[in-house]
Amino acid sequence: MEVVAINQISPDQVILFSWWFVTISATLVYTWLVMGVLVVGSILITGKLSSDPVMTRWQSVLEVLVETIRSEIRDVVKEGVDTYFPFIGTLFLFILFSNLFTFIPGYVAPTSSLTTTAALAIMVFFAVPIYGISKQGILEYLKEYFRPTFIFFPFHVMGEFSRTLALAVRLFGNLMSHEKVIAILLAVTPLFFPVVMQVLGLLIGIIQAYIFAVLTIVYIASATQSHEEAEPKTKEPNSTNH
Amino acid sequence: MHIDWFVFFSQIVNFLILLFLLKKFLYGRIIGAIDARKAKIGALFAEAEQSRREARTAVEDCERKRQDLEERYEQSLNEARKEAESYRERLMEKAREEIDYLKVRWTEALRAERNNFLQELRQLAGRQVYAATRRVLKDLADLNLEERIVEVLLARIASMDENERGKFRGAAREGGAITVTCAFDIPPETQARLKDTLHRYLSEDMGVVYVRSDNILSGCELRSDGHKISWSMKDYLDTIEERFNAALYEEAQEQRT
Repeated sequence: MEVVAINQISPDQVILFSWWFVTISATLVYTWLVMGVLVVGSILITGKLSSDPVMTRWQSVLEVLVETIRSEIRDVVKEGVDTYFPFIGTLFLFILFSNLFTFIPGYVAPTSSLTTTAALAIMVFFAVPIYGISKQGILEYLKEYFRPTFIFFPFHVMGEFSRTLALAVRLFGNLMSHEKVIAILLAVTPLFFPVVMQVLGLLIGIIQAYIFAVLTIVYIASATQSHEEAEPKTKEPNSTNH
Repeated sequence: MHIDWFVFFSQIVNFLILLFLLKKFLYGRIIGAIDARKAKIGALFAEAEQSRREARTAVEDCERKRQDLEERYEQSLNEARKEAESYRERLMEKAREEIDYLKVRWTEALRAERNNFLQELRQLAGRQVYAATRRVLKDLADLNLEERIVEVLLARIASMDENERGKFRGAAREGGAITVTCAFDIPPETQARLKDTLHRYLSEDMGVVYVRSDNILSGCELRSDGHKISWSMKDYLDTIEERFNAALYEEAQEQRT
């Protein structure tokens, strides 16, 4: 039995409970499932962490995962890795596990809901200026919108909105379309081919989680490092005077 | 495509809760464990580095001690070699001295033995020659050898020149006597002839003393105050001894080569 019918474009449309404005949709339920797995898994694994060179396999997996995310962030932002790591790591892990659980029959990825991807994109939309202002100060951050000249201000603003929209729609579009493709294939050729597509879906899910996280890092880096890149240009004449 | 705003804000809240929980239960602990492991590994590396440095220092110390020992060993060895060489030299010198001493003793012993041998040979040869000559003279010419010796001596006294005679006369004037020493007994008549001849050619009042001595080999001699005339087989025997000695020497040389 399909949770989301073929004519339903999002799990938001599967309402499990509704009272006044409170609507508990499949999106929220699966989100809590993913959250529960992540939190309980983390508690279970990190409950018996070892700082010795010899460790459990699960700890090794988690350490590799965490170090890989930190390494990706370090490649882009160079410094302050641990400041951005919890936000970007949570984004990545949430999207990754939301997408990976699609191999469970009956499960629908919350990320195939535009509401979820929009919420994630909005958080990135607000996180970027928050990190930028905390790093550079509000004036320096706002100056970036007027560089190289004030004429670029509307383009910068449009860029902020458009990239947020792109983040939301890209993730939603990929996941939703893939689920629809699998649903159609199950109806047409129920043997073998949907399995291959399912595997492909897992790959796409991993790639989309990676893309979302990396783009977020890049946006945060562009907001926090523009001042540092401009600084050597102002210092250059002084250095030549010596 | 619509957005459920309740779900939208719920997802934001859900995400923030997840962020908080993961930060509390995952990131903090994992990063803490990683940092602790890094610190522990760093400490292990530092300890290993310290141990390596200590080991290197120990190795250098050992190497230094080994070199010291080797130098001391070489030095001791050289000293021992020098001492051994010196000891060997001393032993060689001592051996050479002993060999020289033994050689001298041996040479002296050999020479003494040879002299004894030659002396015995000389006496034996003298006696044999004397006996043979006596017999030959007796058999062939019916002559007495002792008498012939005295005759030869008398002839020599008669043939002395004045200078020689003067020397014997001088000794007689001082109250001395002429000593006649022979290896055989002189018969009385021969003694009388001898005395007459001496009185005639030398001096009338000259005393004559007769002495028998085996030291004069088959001969007879007149002696007065250091002056002497004689005849004996000594010269012949000396020649024989000299030739025999030369023959022995040649034999020894041939054996050595």
